[in-house]
Amino acid sequence: MLGARWRCFGLAVLFSLGFGAGMARWLSRSVVLAQPGEPLPLSVYSKSASYSVPLIALNGQTYVGLVDLLEPLGSVEARPDGKKFKLRFSAPGSREIELQFHDGKDKGKVGGDTVKLAAKFVVQDGRGYAPLSSVSDVLSRALQAPIRLNPSARRLFVGDVGKRYSLDLRSGTPSKLFISFDAPVNPTIATEPGHIRLTFKRDPVVPSVEQITYSDPLITGARFSEHDGAGELDVTGTSALMANFADGGKTIVITAAPSAPPLPAPQPAPAPVAVAPAPSVESQPKAVGPPRHFVLIDPAHGGTDIGAAITKDLPEKDVVLSLARRLQHELESRGIAATLLRNSDIAIPLDQRAVSANAAHPALYVALHAANTGTGVHVFTSSVEAKGTGSRDFLPWEQAQSAYVEASTALADSVMAELISRNLPNTLLTAPLRPMNNIAAPAIAIEIASPDNDVADIAKPAYQLQVAQAIADGIAASRNKTREARP
Amino acid sequence: MTRPLLIMFLVLTLIAGGLVIYAAHLRNRVATEEKRLAEQPKVVLPPATGPMSPVSLYVAFDSEGNLHRVQDSLALPEERSERSRTILRALLTRYMQDSSSHAIGASADVLDVFLLGADTAVVNTSAGFADSHPSGVLAEELTIASMALTLNANDPRITRVKILVDGKERETLAGHVDLSRFYTSNDFELLVREVK
Repeated sequence: MLGARWRCFGLAVLFSLGFGAGMARWLSRSVVLAQPGEPLPLSVYSKSASYSVPLIALNGQTYVGLVDLLEPLGSVEARPDGKKFKLRFSAPGSREIELQFHDGKDKGKVGGDTVKLAAKFVVQDGRGYAPLSSVSDVLSRALQAPIRLNPSARRLFVGDVGKRYSLDLRSGTPSKLFISFDAPVNPTIATEPGHIRLTFKRDPVVPSVEQITYSDPLITGARFSEHDGAGELDVTGTSALMANFADGGKTIVITAAPSAPPLPAPQPAPAPVAVAPAPSVESQPKAVGPPRHFVLIDPAHGGTDIGAAITKDLPEKDVVLSLARRLQHELESRGIAATLLRNSDIAIPLDQRAVSANAAHPALYVALHAANTGTGVHVFTSSVEAKGTGSRDFLPWEQAQSAYVEASTALADSVMAELISRNLPNTLLTAPLRPMNNIAAPAIAIEIASPDNDVADIAKPAYQLQVAQAIADGIAASRNKTREARP
Repeated sequence: MTRPLLIMFLVLTLIAGGLVIYAAHLRNRVATEEKRLAEQPKVVLPPATGPMSPVSLYVAFDSEGNLHRVQDSLALPEERSERSRTILRALLTRYMQDSSSHAIGASADVLDVFLLGADTAVVNTSAGFADSHPSGVLAEELTIASMALTLNANDPRITRVKILVDGKERETLAGHVDLSRFYTSNDFELLVREVK
């Protein structure tokens, strides 16, 4: 009897300790499942936009944020509720679909259908993350479209968007390899002796001919691979190669670079002979690169720097990142290349933002902010004193913007005209705003506030879309003026 | 159920109940502490002594995104830097009223105003001024413009203003507007033209 009593007492103590530990965890509100790893981008290609979203590592799995993934594809309204994560999504011209997941559960619902996930769904800081390997299943139900995912290469195709190509080698002096696409492409091109690599980061190029070998004296083969969120076509040759665009960007012609001596042919016997130095990359003609005219969008804040608290659960850093992605999409749909300075929740110091922007040499720089006071859209140019364009070569760091004030003002005026035409409340001001004074390019900052008295309405997709379209139209209208402003 | 098990069950229930009450008590205490911190004592101007003098304040209005020049009367010290400090504290006190047109943190204060030469004022604000200032480009710019223009309006010799926070230079006021620079009379002119 005594033994039974002691056993009961022991059980009671264990129960109390367990209960107490649970309470302590609840009190400290510090239940952390996992720390996010370094973000890796997933390249997403769809008919409406090509974009990249950060991936995070959780519990040994790769996850992707559902809002990040769906936002450029339509209207998204996320409603995290404790461990539940509900999301309403509607693609343009389609009916609204509700997605529902639960933190720690490997099952969810998409439009009423149950979806089995490859790992447990994770809700962290109000954001919902699904395992990458399951997004095909989730997206195909949400978008009613075929999805192609290459998880190891981090490439995701929504619908039938893949650009295919054909290879046509025409022998001659020199031989030429015609790579024909069904739509214009814009790859990054890198050369080294005996190789030319076409990297398709933004173009949804898919493997049509994975590998081919030629018995040609100049071009010996071509191989397509997918890795690091891009497709890469590697053409090999016996000599230095170069690329030319034809047919409005639909065809790339690979041929011998002029005046480049052929590489020494492999010798059957490894006799110790003096070998002439191979031509350096610098000595070869420069390859055709991507266009330099692009807009750099700088979503302010990030990481531990949350910016303004728009509402209790909505920091400025999230509002501006969402707006930045919409703006990028709107610009690209108008034929204007755009890049985000930050495309994930990371902190970048102010000076580093300016250093990165100046190193990229954008045609335009647009900083995005959000406020929890006032209404409408505030457009700012730098308050630095304007200097003539002749003083661009050597400018103090604090006055780098001074040579671009005129172009920045023209850009701001153009954006303002679009805001006014849409009846969006607006203000045009100068501001001593970091890091605008340090930007050596036409630069504006845009601060978005709520459209009405309810500050939470700042995150409404329809409002953000309206603002993004106004900014994009303003940039498009001022394109010629700002292009002249670049040296 | 045997008697010992019944006793154990009652003991467990009592322990669980006690822990729930204790947890609720702790949460209540945290909430009270947070409320107390949010209601930190506001800056209260010293009682006015001596004759009242007219002063001009550039008061910010968030709803309009501009500044209004407002006349007020204050008892001002003789010494020039103390006079500037008193006027700036009056401006901040306005912003800390419940019905303020431009809310700032409740613990904002001007600790000192140092005059360098004839034209430069270095304003040393409290840490709470920046730490609790609403974050936003326009909100921050209105505060800086309001302070700089008010200083200039009441002492036209002050054409350069530098703002420190707790004796140190800060990169920005609350994440946006540059605090690392001196504001010159040119900046004042631009701001007056735009927001007045």
